[in-house]
Amino acid sequence: MPPSGAGARARTLARTLALLALVVLSPRLASAEPSVPAGETAVHLVRNFWDLVASQQGEERTARPESRAIEPAPQGAAPVDLSDLSNPARIESRLKSALAPRDGAVRLTVSEGTARLGDYRIGAADAIEGHLLVVQGDADVYGRLHGNLVTVDGDVIVHPGALVSGDILALGGMVHDMGGEIGGEVRTLRHTSIVAPLRAVAAPEPTALETIGRRLAGVVGVFLTLAVLGFGLVMFGRPNLEVISDTASHSFGRAFVTGLLGQILVIPTFGMVIVGLILSVAGILLLPFAVAVYALLVIVGALGGFLGVAHAMGETYTRRRMALGAMIGSPNSYRYLVVGLGAVAVLWLAWSLFGWVPVAGTLIGGAAFLATWLLATAGFGAALLSRAGIRENFAGRLIPPEALTDEYLWATPQFGVPAARRPGGGRTPTRGL
Amino acid sequence: MYRVALAMLALVAGATSASAQSMRSFSTFRQLHGETRLQVGLDYRAGGLRITPGRASELYRMDASYDEDRYAPTSTYDAARGIVTLGLQPAGAGGLRVVSTRQLRQDATVAFAPSVDLDLALALGAVRADIELGGLNLTALTMEAGASQAVVRFSEPNLSRCRAAEITAGAAELTVLGLGNSRCDRFSLEGGMGKITLDFAGTWTSSTAAEIKMAMGELTLRLPRNVGVRLTLDRFLASFDPAGLVRTGKAFESPGYDRAERTLDIDLTTAVGGVKVEWVK
Repeated sequence: MPPSGAGARARTLARTLALLALVVLSPRLASAEPSVPAGETAVHLVRNFWDLVASQQGEERTARPESRAIEPAPQGAAPVDLSDLSNPARIESRLKSALAPRDGAVRLTVSEGTARLGDYRIGAADAIEGHLLVVQGDADVYGRLHGNLVTVDGDVIVHPGALVSGDILALGGMVHDMGGEIGGEVRTLRHTSIVAPLRAVAAPEPTALETIGRRLAGVVGVFLTLAVLGFGLVMFGRPNLEVISDTASHSFGRAFVTGLLGQILVIPTFGMVIVGLILSVAGILLLPFAVAVYALLVIVGALGGFLGVAHAMGETYTRRRMALGAMIGSPNSYRYLVVGLGAVAVLWLAWSLFGWVPVAGTLIGGAAFLATWLLATAGFGAALLSRAGIRENFAGRLIPPEALTDEYLWATPQFGVPAARRPGGGRTPTRGL
Repeated sequence: MYRVALAMLALVAGATSASAQSMRSFSTFRQLHGETRLQVGLDYRAGGLRITPGRASELYRMDASYDEDRYAPTSTYDAARGIVTLGLQPAGAGGLRVVSTRQLRQDATVAFAPSVDLDLALALGAVRADIELGGLNLTALTMEAGASQAVVRFSEPNLSRCRAAEITAGAAELTVLGLGNSRCDRFSLEGGMGKITLDFAGTWTSSTAAEIKMAMGELTLRLPRNVGVRLTLDRFLASFDPAGLVRTGKAFESPGYDRAERTLDIDLTTAVGGVKVEWVK
């Protein structure tokens, strides 16, 4: 017995709520680990954020070396003096020459102090006399440091109860004063190039095989994620996905142009929404909500559109094969999605395999990007045209009045529907499941 | 078509030259450890500068973005004497990049603790400055401005009494707002050429004497009605509109000057240009 409409809707609603609950709860469950002081969490958040920014600017920090003392410089080499940090540029220049690797190793002597490589922590019960240099690592100060502190490509975190009696200088890092006492002056100079030679020593260029492996892993990961999202969409919103898919395949050019315009207008529209809410005064309260909803809509539109296009590609390919007589086990939306995403993935897999080849690799990468952008734009446009799969106007499911000729009406009788009502009714049954 | 091509070329060239300038970020601050006074020497040669009251927990702070090819930040503190030297000093090639004004993006924000007695000495070069001194504990101000465009504000009353405010401006456009809030016993201005506006509005707590010397340019005096004003004017080829001031001997006085509880005595010497008087509440 087929389920009633109300029952099906209730089940769909229950599934959606369960999925939402899972999405909301999973990060909390995942973070159910030993509690970390709130301040420390904030510091880590800030540091992660800056690492993210740095990575976007092409200044990604390399993996931190293992924490160890830096060996003293050989006899005759001048020690680095950290007693006066008033001229950060001069200190930076001095450290750059002193930290230049010789014979593949870094050796350096700090006069009246110590030098460390990698993250370094001064425990709450520790008291260090003299200046401290930390290279390619963060300096976490819980205890007492009687001297100056310099970090290169690392942050300084002065925790509550900690003491740094002298000055602090962070070259290529930041200083987080969490409530400790800093007797001297704090200086930060961002974006240092001191560690570039160290990175060259520490992290050699990956081989072509390693590059291929990394890229393959990345591409497979991305497309697996897309497939999982697509399966979720099929499970919970198949009618909408099919309408977007049909819109993309039936009105591809229109969808592409709409998507292009949509991309151009995304930010101005957002600005207008914000300005409109601000001008309405009362709407200011809705600003955070509006920002979140707008961002969500754009993401859902872009992602849903792309999956819709993949679905359309897969459906077209599968139907053509079936038309040629091929036996397809289960021609359903899941298969369509897998086939469509696979077709896009082929381009990126080609880039993963041959991207290291000079010129050709760049061309393949460019072609993959262009094709993906083209499909994503058309998908975004299809999502907009179909109002996220609600309207079928451009999905090829409506019969235009000019197509309702006498021959058509004679050849396609509609069961139970009087022929006289059809021009006004306009719709043919949807494909359903 | 040619115009479009030229515009594209200019855009590309502009982007290339702009990217040639390498900017760096520098920050410095010092925690407040019970200091009660601070003598500041701020030498800022080029770019945008903003001075504001800072956090109660920090003695001073400077956040700067500078052209590392031409400038270097300075930040030294003499704990024994309570003197800090901040600013951007020429280094390397020095000078200004004059290819495009868009390239002059050096900026700095300097803040001082509101609780300490502040003796502020500013040396500004080619600077766009927005200096807020209201709400600080200013005890003395010395400002030398070169070819700058500066606005000095006393938006709130000075928290302590100020001995003197001395301003020297070269070829500058200078606006000083709310001098009544400065609580300075003496105010002096020596202007070379340019446009200077002195606004004496604010909360007056005592009488003040102002000595103004202006070589060439336009000077606007915005005078409060609730203070007795006496203006002694020595001019050569400068126009002057008394705008309500009454001539009394060699000076101009506001009505009721003799009976005013607080007075502003202005000794003005100007050569070429004009002196304009406006009244404010």
